[in-house]
Amino acid sequence: MPAASRNSIGGGRGFGINDDVDILTEVLKRLDGRSVCVAACVCRQWSSIARKDSVWEELCFRHVSPGVRPVVVALGGYKRLYMVCVRPLLKRMTLARPDEVQLSLSLFCVHYYETLAGSGPPSSLMFLCNPVNV
Amino acid sequence: MVPYETAAAAPPIPIGNPPASSSSSSSTTIIPKPPEIDGLLAGAGYKVRSSDLRHVAQRLERLETAMLNSPSQQLSLLASDAVLYNPSDLSTWVDSLLSELNQSQSLPSLPSDLSDLMSNPTALDGSWMDQQLPPPTAAVHNQQPPQLTVVTAVEEDSGIRLVHMLMTCAEYVQRGELALAGSLIQDMQSLLTRVNTGCGIGKVAGYFIDALGRRVFAAGGGGGVPGGSAYENEILYHHFYEACPYLKFAHFTANQAILEAFDGHDCVHVVDFNLMHGLQWPALIQALALRPGGPPLLRLTGIGPPSPDGRDSLREIGLRLAELARSVNVRFAFRGVAAARLEDVKPWMLQVNPKEAVAVNSIMQLHKLLGPGSPGDPARPAPIDAVLGWIRSLNPKIMTVVEQESNHNQPAFLDRFTESLYYYSTMFDSLDACALQPEKALAEMYIQREICNVVSCEGSARLERHEPLANWRERLTRAGFRPLHLGSNAFKQASMLLTLFSAEGYCVEENEGCLTLGWHSRPLIAASAWHAVAETAAGAVSDVPVVGGVVL
Repeated sequence: MPAASRNSIGGGRGFGINDDVDILTEVLKRLDGRSVCVAACVCRQWSSIARKDSVWEELCFRHVSPGVRPVVVALGGYKRLYMVCVRPLLKRMTLARPDEVQLSLSLFCVHYYETLAGSGPPSSLMFLCNPVNV
Repeated sequence: MVPYETAAAAPPIPIGNPPASSSSSSSTTIIPKPPEIDGLLAGAGYKVRSSDLRHVAQRLERLETAMLNSPSQQLSLLASDAVLYNPSDLSTWVDSLLSELNQSQSLPSLPSDLSDLMSNPTALDGSWMDQQLPPPTAAVHNQQPPQLTVVTAVEEDSGIRLVHMLMTCAEYVQRGELALAGSLIQDMQSLLTRVNTGCGIGKVAGYFIDALGRRVFAAGGGGGVPGGSAYENEILYHHFYEACPYLKFAHFTANQAILEAFDGHDCVHVVDFNLMHGLQWPALIQALALRPGGPPLLRLTGIGPPSPDGRDSLREIGLRLAELARSVNVRFAFRGVAAARLEDVKPWMLQVNPKEAVAVNSIMQLHKLLGPGSPGDPARPAPIDAVLGWIRSLNPKIMTVVEQESNHNQPAFLDRFTESLYYYSTMFDSLDACALQPEKALAEMYIQREICNVVSCEGSARLERHEPLANWRERLTRAGFRPLHLGSNAFKQASMLLTLFSAEGYCVEENEGCLTLGWHSRPLIAASAWHAVAETAAGAVSDVPVVGGVVL
């Protein structure tokens, strides 16, 4: 489409994706983890949106009750939950079922508890980093 | 091709020399085949005695070197003029070929004894392997071969021999013949140098030989467990937690059962018989925080050994758990009870409120109470009965019991030894799948301490008196408890947990309402749940079966 006619649609100024933060957030919320990280490298605005915990909340548990949120926030936030627990778990399960969600939260909680100890990096989730025997 | 005339007679029957050790005289030794011909080479048509394998390997190597080095006329002479008999008797055949070549050449002399063989146990199909070996310690040689072939069948043979020798040694110990046991231990230690102790039977055998040594050579009765401070034990326990799924399975299964039992109660009290670093409780706190209807008031009483250096380690753990509970908005109170032994704990120390729902959690602690206890007063009940008695008096909603699934408490030493050899071999097999270091090495040390206690200690020093689930069922039923069936949620959670571990051999099984976790269909750890049965005024026992949290 030629640039001139694009501007005339909608009776004037066109719409750029960067103009509306909320719409951009809604779009980024629907991506997978790797794409969000790639999006964070695009520009400063996209980077700040990609860091919002609400984006990662969608990523972690698309269909989970909001009651989980205060607990997750207290334990370090959704982005951290994704990096530490959900991403390694997604290699082995879909995290669509509530019991899978519950398990990942429990593991996250043990991880948080270990960080409270302050003695070295927490290691209770190291076993998740092992490659799976196929 | 070398023409030869095969002897018409049958192949020579080897004069099978039984191994020099005393194991051949024991009733427990089973020699795999009557003449000791190597089975793998026999499949290819060669008859070689297992004891000759190393010798034949050397000779073949020499033959190859000689053939490569000899001038071509030599070889054609060998091809046309040499007469060789019976090539299936590989040993003689090689020797005769070598002597043919020897007549015209001076060969470098190889060391006749290779005492430091290291073989790769993964190539157990009997194939020849080239390996760089450390220089042999034997006698003079003017030219050292750059590479030596190593026979892996020798390794397999040595592994079987080690197991036989271990059993024989245990039998001597049971009969009280400590001198014979001692010399056998020394034989085994020298055999260990020829076996790969990095994994497999070599590693397990090494630990058992060490434990037997402690028992036989220690002054006085029973060798002590190596090291043994509570702080060290906590660290080893933590690494055992990380390297393999047994403790995680225990914690998650117990938590699920406790969560279901606490349904509908607003004041709950958990008594943990061995707090350690409190790794079990964050998950329960988080699950209680998210339960529909909101979290209850949670009290946790943690029992642990007193810390020697003035640190109050129980209180530190309590503070950490309290901080976690505060962040997720769960009202929480902690109490630490320091006791060297579980039988020293008295129920008043736990300060249980009659209005609260009580859960008692014992992860691999109850078996320590099966010992003789303090001698002298026959009227006092055995420690296990005393403790089960006061647990019952607390009227707990649930008691979660996780124990090793094996019988290491039989009266006869040989039975205990045999059973623990199989049990810990399986456990080490499962640990081999773990790739995390140093977690794996420290987890092995944790298991090694258990082995030492089972094998080398006696009387009140022997704490690791594991008994199988069937025994615990009987004992707990006699003490007035009834089983609570672990529901399907616990099973699903355990299965999910196992999919996260990369090793494929773990299996969760359901056993009459209890869950067991094992390696390749051998259960290694069993989790069960119980509740105290109320006695009515008439003395009859009322029984309310509960399945998966629903009262029928």
